Order: sequence, then C-alpha cells, then structure tokens
Amino acid sequence: MSRNQTNRRVDEIRAKSSELENHLIDEYSSGRLSRRDFVRRGTVLGMSLSAVGFLASACGTGKKTGTTGGGGGTAVQAGGKEVQVRAGGTLKLGMSPGPSTEIDPIKVADEGGLGIMSQTAEFLSWSDSKLHLQPRLAESWKPNADGSVWTFKIRQGVKFHDGTPMTAEDVAASINALSDPKGGSNALSTFAGVLSKDSAKATDASTVTFELDAPNGNFPYLLSSDNYNAIIVPKDLSGKWEKTFPGTGPWKLDRYTPNSGVSYVKNPDYWDKSRIPKLDSQQVKFYPKEQAQILALQSGDVDVLIHFSPTGGKALLNDPKITVIELRSSVHREVHMRNDKKPFDDKRVRQAMALAVDRNALVQGLFAGKADLGNDSPFAPVFPSTDKSVPQRQQDLEKAKALMQQAGVSNVSLTLNTWDGFELGDLAQLLQNDAAKIGIKLKPNITDAGTYYGDAVFGKSPWLDSVMGITDYGHRGVPNVFLNAPLQSKGVWNAAHFHNPTYDGLVKEYTAALDIGAQRTAAKKIQELLLDESPILYPYFYFFLTGTKKNVGNVEVSAMGHYDITKAGFTTGA
Amino acid sequence: MARFIAKRLALGLITLFLLSVLVFCMANVLPGNVGRRVLGPFASPTAVAALNHQLGTDQPVLKQYWNQMKGYVHGDMGRSVSTRQPISEVLWPALGHSAKLAVLAFLIVVPLSILGGVVAALKEGSVRDRVITVGGLSATAIPDFVWAVVLLIVLSLGLGIFPSTAAWPDGSGILTQIKYLLLPAFCLVFVLFGYIARMARAGTIEALDADYTRTAVIKGLPQRTVLWRHVLRNSLLPTIAVVATQVGYLMGGLVVIELIFNYQGIGQMIFRAATQKDFPALEAAVLVVGVVFLVSTLVADVLYSVLNPRVRLGSADS
Amino acid sequence: MSAGAPVPPAIDPVGDVAVALGPPRDDARLARKERLQVLIRSKSFIAGAIIVGFWVLCAIFGKLLVPQDPLASSPLNGLEAPSADNWFGTDRLGRDVFARVIVGSRDIMLIAPAATVLGTVLGTALGLVTGYFRGAIDDILSRLIETVLALPVVLVAVLAITSLGPSNVTIILVVGFVFSPLIARTVRAAVLGERELEYVAAARLRNERTPYILFAEILPNVMGPVIVEFTVRLGYAIFVVATLSFLGFGVQPPAPDWGLQIFDHYGLISGGYWWPVLFPAAAIATLVIGVNLIADGLTQAFER
Repeated sequence: MSRNQTNRRVDEIRAKSSELENHLIDEYSSGRLSRRDFVRRGTVLGMSLSAVGFLASACGTGKKTGTTGGGGGTAVQAGGKEVQVRAGGTLKLGMSPGPSTEIDPIKVADEGGLGIMSQTAEFLSWSDSKLHLQPRLAESWKPNADGSVWTFKIRQGVKFHDGTPMTAEDVAASINALSDPKGGSNALSTFAGVLSKDSAKATDASTVTFELDAPNGNFPYLLSSDNYNAIIVPKDLSGKWEKTFPGTGPWKLDRYTPNSGVSYVKNPDYWDKSRIPKLDSQQVKFYPKEQAQILALQSGDVDVLIHFSPTGGKALLNDPKITVIELRSSVHREVHMRNDKKPFDDKRVRQAMALAVDRNALVQGLFAGKADLGNDSPFAPVFPSTDKSVPQRQQDLEKAKALMQQAGVSNVSLTLNTWDGFELGDLAQLLQNDAAKIGIKLKPNITDAGTYYGDAVFGKSPWLDSVMGITDYGHRGVPNVFLNAPLQSKGVWNAAHFHNPTYDGLVKEYTAALDIGAQRTAAKKIQELLLDESPILYPYFYFFLTGTKKNVGNVEVSAMGHYDITKAGFTTGA
Repeated sequence: MARFIAKRLALGLITLFLLSVLVFCMANVLPGNVGRRVLGPFASPTAVAALNHQLGTDQPVLKQYWNQMKGYVHGDMGRSVSTRQPISEVLWPALGHSAKLAVLAFLIVVPLSILGGVVAALKEGSVRDRVITVGGLSATAIPDFVWAVVLLIVLSLGLGIFPSTAAWPDGSGILTQIKYLLLPAFCLVFVLFGYIARMARAGTIEALDADYTRTAVIKGLPQRTVLWRHVLRNSLLPTIAVVATQVGYLMGGLVVIELIFNYQGIGQMIFRAATQKDFPALEAAVLVVGVVFLVSTLVADVLYSVLNPRVRLGSADS
Repeated sequence: MSAGAPVPPAIDPVGDVAVALGPPRDDARLARKERLQVLIRSKSFIAGAIIVGFWVLCAIFGKLLVPQDPLASSPLNGLEAPSADNWFGTDRLGRDVFARVIVGSRDIMLIAPAATVLGTVLGTALGLVTGYFRGAIDDILSRLIETVLALPVVLVAVLAITSLGPSNVTIILVVGFVFSPLIARTVRAAVLGERELEYVAAARLRNERTPYILFAEILPNVMGPVIVEFTVRLGYAIFVVATLSFLGFGVQPPAPDWGLQIFDHYGLISGGYWWPVLFPAAAIATLVIGVNLIADGLTQAFER
C-alpha cells in the first residue's frame, strides 16, 4: 500500500471512530503509548482487531517503549509463535490442586474450578496472554459518551452443546445472576459499585446493554475471561451445572469425577471453525499436593502442568525435557500493617518496614527470578495504566533504621499472621529475617486458610483484625479490584484499616478515566501516595508458569488460571 | 463360638456408637463455619448464611447428629458438604482402593515375613538371625514417607520401571492396576516386614522350645515334618494377631502414602474431610474404618481360636 | 481385647520356685542388679544408648555446637550443595542444613518423650485399674479403649489437631492420649497375672487400702513391661511426630523440625537437591533405631 493509500485508510478509520478511540490513536502516534499497550487498549474500547492491527503498523513511530517479560532461564514467553502439530491424540494435563467444591458457575472461587469451567463454556470475550480482549460470544462492544452504558453485539448462530441456540437473553440472564446480591456470587466483589442487579438487558435477539452504576473505562474486562464466573449459560439452567457442564465452547464434557479428574472430547460443531480443537480429547488429573504433579510431568504420566509454582517446580526450570512457559501476571501478596495500631500507626515505621525488605532476594529466593518487583502499590508492571516513571523502592537499611529512630520505636515484638499455602510461610520467615535487622521482632503464626480468613468480616477474622498479616491475591486483568476493597476507606477487605480521603478521591478519578492517559495520570498520583503512606507492602508480582513436555506445542494460558488447548497438539511422536 | 461372636458384635456396636459421638464432638469443636469454608473468604455473609441454611449446618448440634444417624439406619450416608455429592459414591470406591493396596501389600509381606521370621528363629542368635532382625527393625524405623520418596526417586524417576503415581488410567485391567500399585505396596512391605517377622520369630522360638516339639523330635519325626505340623502352626498364631492389627493401619492410616502417590484411598478421604471440615464425609469414613477394624480383629480372634484349640474363647480375653 | 497374648509376657511372673509370700526386698534388689548386668553387656543396648545419647547432647547443646545459625535465611544462597562452608548444604531459603539437623533434634526430643511419658502414666494407671478391678469398670473402660484403638494413630492425631490447632502442647497431649490405650493393654495383661499372686492376697489380708495395693505392691512388679513399652512407644512417638510434621500438622515453621524439613523439600529431590531431605531423614531413622535398640536391650534384660 502506498503512503497515500495508507493515510487515506487511517483517516477513514478515524472518521468512523469515537472521540475516545481517536484520542487513543493520538497517544500512540505521538509515541506516548507503546504499540502493545495501544493494541490492548484498543481492543478494550471495542475497536475491531483488523483496524487496530492496521493502525498499529501505520501509525507507529518505531520507538520501543514497552517492556518484555522478565526473568532469566530458558523459559519461553507466553503467546509465542504457533508451531506445527499433528491432528488427533489425547492430551493429559495435571492440575494442582483440583476444584475444591461443587462447580457452580456463580460461586466458583478457585483456580481449579475456573479452569474446568472455561473448557466447555465461554465468555463474551477472552483476555489473552498479552491482556488483549479477543471477541468470543460478543462480536463487538461500544461505550456511550461517558462510559456509563455499554452495548454488546452478541454473536448469532451459536449453539449450546445440546443444540439449543445461544441468544442475548441467555447472556443477560447469566450476567444478572452474577450481579444479584441474593445469589451470593463470587463475582459480586468484582461488580461492586459497577453493575447492580438486573442491569443487563437484552434489547433484541442480538444486543445486550449494560447500565453501569458509574462510568467505567475498563468495563469490558469485567465481562471477559478475567471475571471467571461470567460464563454464558442457558437462561433456564435448571439443576446443577456440574452434571453436564453446559456451554458453547470447543470442548464437550466426557466425564467428571470430583477429586479425581475430568475428561473432555472435542466439539466438532463449534461455531469458530478456526478454533475447533486439533486434539481428539483431553484428560485432566487433579493432584492435591503439588509435588505429585511435578513428579507426574517428569515421569511422563502427564503431558502438561497447567500451573506450577517456581518453588515447588524448581526442578522443572532446568529440565531439558520440559518446556516452561512463563506469563507475567498481577498475582501478588499484600503484607498489611494496621494503620490504627502501634507501632504501625506512625507512617515512618511503615516506611521503615518497607525499606527493610530485600525485594531482590525475595524474587530470587522464592521465585528463581520469575517475578516482577513490587513497588508497594497494586499497580503491577504488567498493567498498561501503570506509571513506570515512579522510582522503584529498594532495600535501604540505613534509612530504615534512621526512620525507626525518628519515630522513637525500637525492639517491638509482634505476630505476623498468614496461612500455610503457596509460598506464604516462606515469605513470612524471610520477612522475619529482614525485620529483625531494624529492631522489629516478628513471630510468624502460620495457620490453615480457614483459620486465617475466619468469617471474613471485621471482628471475626485474623486476616482483617491482625496488626500484620500476609494475604494472597490472584491475578486480575485490571487493577480496579485491588484499588478498591483492600484500600478504600469503606473497603470490605481493608485489612490495613487505611482511611485516606485523598486516596478515595484518586481511585474515583482512575476508575472513571476512559483513556489511557488519564488513567496513567491518576495512577501516578496513587502510586506516589501509597509509597509515602505505605499501608501495605507489595513485595512482588510473580509469573504464571506452565510446563509441557518438549513434544507438546501451542498450549495457551492466561494468568487467571485458564488454559486454552484448542490449537495444541503433539509435535512429534506420542 | 456363636455366643462369643454375638457378644463381640454387640460390644462392637457400642464401640461404633462411641466412635460416632467422638467424631461428632470433634467436628463441632472445630473453628470456622461450614458455609464460610466452602465459599471461601471473599463471599458475602448473606451467601454464607444461605448455604449454611441449605446444608442444615445452622441447626442445633444434637439435631444434626440425630439426622445423621437416622440416615445411616436407612442406608443413606448423606452428602459431602464440600462437593455436594453423595458420600457413598466416593466412599465405597475409596474403600475398594484401600483394600486393593492392602491385599497386594499383604500378599507380598506376609509370606516374606513368615519366611524371614522362621529362618531367623531356626538359628537363633546367629548372624543371619541378627541381620534379619536388625534389618527388619531398621526398615520399620524409617518413616513410610521416607521410603516412598526414596523408592520414587530410584525406581520411578531414576530407572523408570514404575509409574510415579498409583492413580491408574481409567479402565485399566487388573495387571496394569497392580503395576501402578507396586511402588506403594513395596513401601508398605518395608514398613511392615520387621514387625511381622519379629512376631513370627518369637512364635517360632516358643514353639521350638515347647514340649510337643521335643516329643515329636524324640519320636523320630524328620525335622521338616516337625516344622510343618507343629512349629509353623504355632508361629502362625502371633502372626495372625499382628496382621489383624495392621489391617486398621492399612485401611485408613495410609494418609501419607496415598498423598504422595495420589491414590484415592480411605486415608486420603479422611484427611481431606478433616482439613475441609466436611463433617458428614468424615463421620461416614471414620465409622467405616472402625467397622473394618472391628471385623478384622473379630475374624483374627476366631481364627486364633480355631488354630489353637487350647485357647477357650471368652477367657482369651486377656 | 483381641486374640490371646501372642507376645510372651516380658516378665516371667512366676518362676517354678515360688514367690510364696511376696517378693522379699533383697530378692528384688538382687534381681535388679542382675538385670543391670545383662543390660550393660547387651550390645544392642550399648549401641542404642550411644546413638540416643548423641542426640540428647545435640538437643541440649545444639545451638552451641553448630557454626551457623539455623534460622538465618539467605534466599540468594538457596539449595547449595554440601561444601566446606555448609557441611550438609543449604535448604530452600538458604539456611544451613547441618545446623538445622543438629538443632532440630530439640523439638522432637522434647515432644516425643513428653508424649510418651504422658501416655505411659495414663496407660499404666488405666491398665492397673482395669486389670485389678475387672468387672464392670473393666468392661466400660475397655470399650472406650477399643474405640480409640479402632482408628489408626495418625488419623486420630490429625483429627484432634485439626480441631485444636497445631501447637507443641496439643501434639504432646494428643499423642499421649492416643498411646495410653496401647500401653494400658499391656499393663492390664501383666496385672492380670499379678493379682492372683500370694503377696496381693497377703496385702488384702493386712487391710491395705486399694491404692496402696495398686501402686506400692503391684506396680513395682509390672515395671518391667512398663519400661519396655515406654521405649517401644518412644520410637513410635518419634515416628508419629515426624509424620505429623510431614503432613503439615506438626511443629510450625520456622522451627528446624526434621519432619517439617522433609515436607518442605521432598518435591525438590527430582531436581537433584537430595541433601535437604536425606540428612533429616537419616536423623529420624538413626534416632528411632537407637531407641529401638535400647528397647531391645531392655527386653533381653527383663526376659532373663
């Protein structure tokens, strides 16, 4: 295409685009936005992939502003090039742990359950490894002028596995079930303040409108695979979903045995012909202990481990027979310090604690380098709206000791509460070591999850009541959830008892911002405020690791815990 | 004999009743409530309350216990709180799995141990005796999870002879199943050998010393006949007793082995029910294990008396 | 309870030469002296005593004996192979394995014996009572004992600790309670043999009160089996405590407990990191073997 033709095409697209979208294109053309972030942002706003792709190359300045994945080793970046695989075969996968309770789409809250659900059922859009939104059951979506009403066009001609057609009414019913407080859905925390009950309306057979409580520039993410309860199921779903796993997806349920495993066969009538699975079937085995699944992959009992931790799977990282796929995510730990109790009521002590932490050692020791450093705010490096110009806090023992002296605090003892999953116990012990260097004696109290979380309300939960504790937070595609519940004055997960009106205002600003520039501006202010106040330590955001045998290709994963093997298969042998 | 069995069954029922009460008390001393445990920490309190109501866990404790027991009388074990599946669908297969592993382990370890014990006893105090005794002792001393890990590394990962889990693929034939179970069975063999061999040895020594043996030898019977007819029979007695006590361990105490080898046995089921605070599943599984144990000891006692007519049942109650 | 007594009683309560009027004091002293001599000459006992003695020393003086701090983590030096600096290498968080193994003896040398003592005291009392009184008391208590015995030890411990939370005190109480029925059974068997003897009848004739008969007359004569049971149970207690730690129900981090160390590191063996698992495992094994050897020697001494 000649230069002139290119420009004309660009103008055509711009003319058809909204003000918001034009603003985005401006940011990109002037180099203030990396190509990757432009593409991501564009898909969120509902621009078509072809337009975005075209503009990405046409308007690029050639400057490289984005960052690639971190960590060393021979791991492969997620979302790499597609390889040739032969058709057919059965892929065996390991999942650890498996789903822990009944699989009810609106209630599932664990990684095992969500991974299982998204094989046979689908979302309106799919949040891929680069955090782009790919349309699935929704063909396209558009906001109104201020982002308070979003309209989704629903794909036609899609059928559930039993043959009944999927329509806009099914979509509206599925989402309304999630936002209804009486349903007790796990997604209520995501929709809090965004979508109230019955706000999804099917205006015709192929359109659904969502009336939000307040303008929200990231809303489409909340209906994507990032909100893992938001699968689209038949509106008159009677009986348990667990019986037949009804959905529209590329896989059909073969057999589910709780606590043991599940198997699927491919759906040859799947609506997206390009994504009908190449494999014939897949078998997933559940492993209660991670060590067992690691051994299973090494000995060949399974071909893929959907998710393993760097600490448990250290042996896999250097195993020449295994391909490790790494994916940047926003999974993190929040080390809260109660702002209303001694010694942390003085922010100098909080800052001292933050400065005592040797973050590099944590990343190396706990994750073999497979993690991003955290800068004491929920803005993970993986989010496009994160302002990366804010300087990264590093360990500074001298400054920390000085701050402790200024605050007049020395030789304090307190309990550090957490539970015994993941690397939480190790983190507690390492923090104990770091804190000892500045005169804070931490005593780890590591219980089981049930005891740590208690009844999950203030007054009846060590998580929310303890002076200092470590809580695990799973991945989200956007930081909204992390900014709200744990840090807002009225937040229900506010273990730090942080009450700061300026912060509350800034979060409102961020949430309402529809374009990336405004989001970044608000983010910068939030990041700086949190660095100063330091109510919570965010030491790292670690990578999501997947392991496959060398002869398996095209396994796609999302940091949420979903896996997509429609394009996967065996490259040789097996 | 019949009276003895009847008395034992009656006493057994009392024991089971006490057991059910014990588990019930423990379950209700547990911290945290069931609904919250199932839905996780981030669910809303209304949802938790709704679930508790649905499951009946907000009723008074005694009423819950009564409902549970009523169900058992009708053959209904109730539903698991965490998976909402009927418990029987999980429990009987788990029992079957544990039984398979136990049988395989016994088939290997009992003949081996008796052989070892008798051989050691025949030359009491000799080098071979000390080797068998001390060797068996050392093997038993090493915790089962250590054996499991070592065997896994050497035989499965290192030499690739055995699969690394005991969870065989669905629909495997009996031979494949045995292949998958061999590694955990070997662990059990190491753990049990020393103990059973020691019992067999003690029994053999006692039998060798006994009057009837000396009489048989004086009568001129060949050593082999003496061994077979008199000595072995009496060395079997303590072995049977010991084997019976190990049934309880094998049918419920194998939590560690089952976890490491990812095997869906009863031990794992109880462990999971305990950690998930799934009271109905816990109660059912514990009672079943209790029944198995009581039945196996009863069978052992009956066998013992059959094999040793000098022991009168009832007074053997020492 | 179950089939007869396949185990020959550890003491031969009646020699053919009668103990007609009760064990005279000097006869008892002579017997004790003889037993001691047998003990000292027993190879098993010596070997066991050396091993256990070593660990006892480690438990008491551990911290002073090791060059490195068992709790000092150094995440950048994780999983380093044994070297001159770290004789047993470092663990996942960079802590010195040698130090952790030596100092790690302390928890288990405190908890296991304490639990066993508790179990022995309770079990002996139970055994004395059920063996002496028989009748209704015996039946009821035996029922209760059987109830607890119907479940494997580890499971009962797991259930109890799930309810009560894992602390050292809980573990001691739980393991102690779980052991007492087993000990009670053996003591009961021995008491059954003793109660028909003349000296008991003599004491009754003298109108001694029952507690006196139980504890001052019978108890000294069943001490043999009690001591042997104690040492056997001790070995098993170590095993159980280590297993509980392995399941995550035992001693809590960052304590350098052996079972906990294995729990933390066994998934790493396949990557070639054998040292954080092998050394604690060897420690457990040697300690249990040592205790069993002592038990073996004691059995020989009391068998005569």
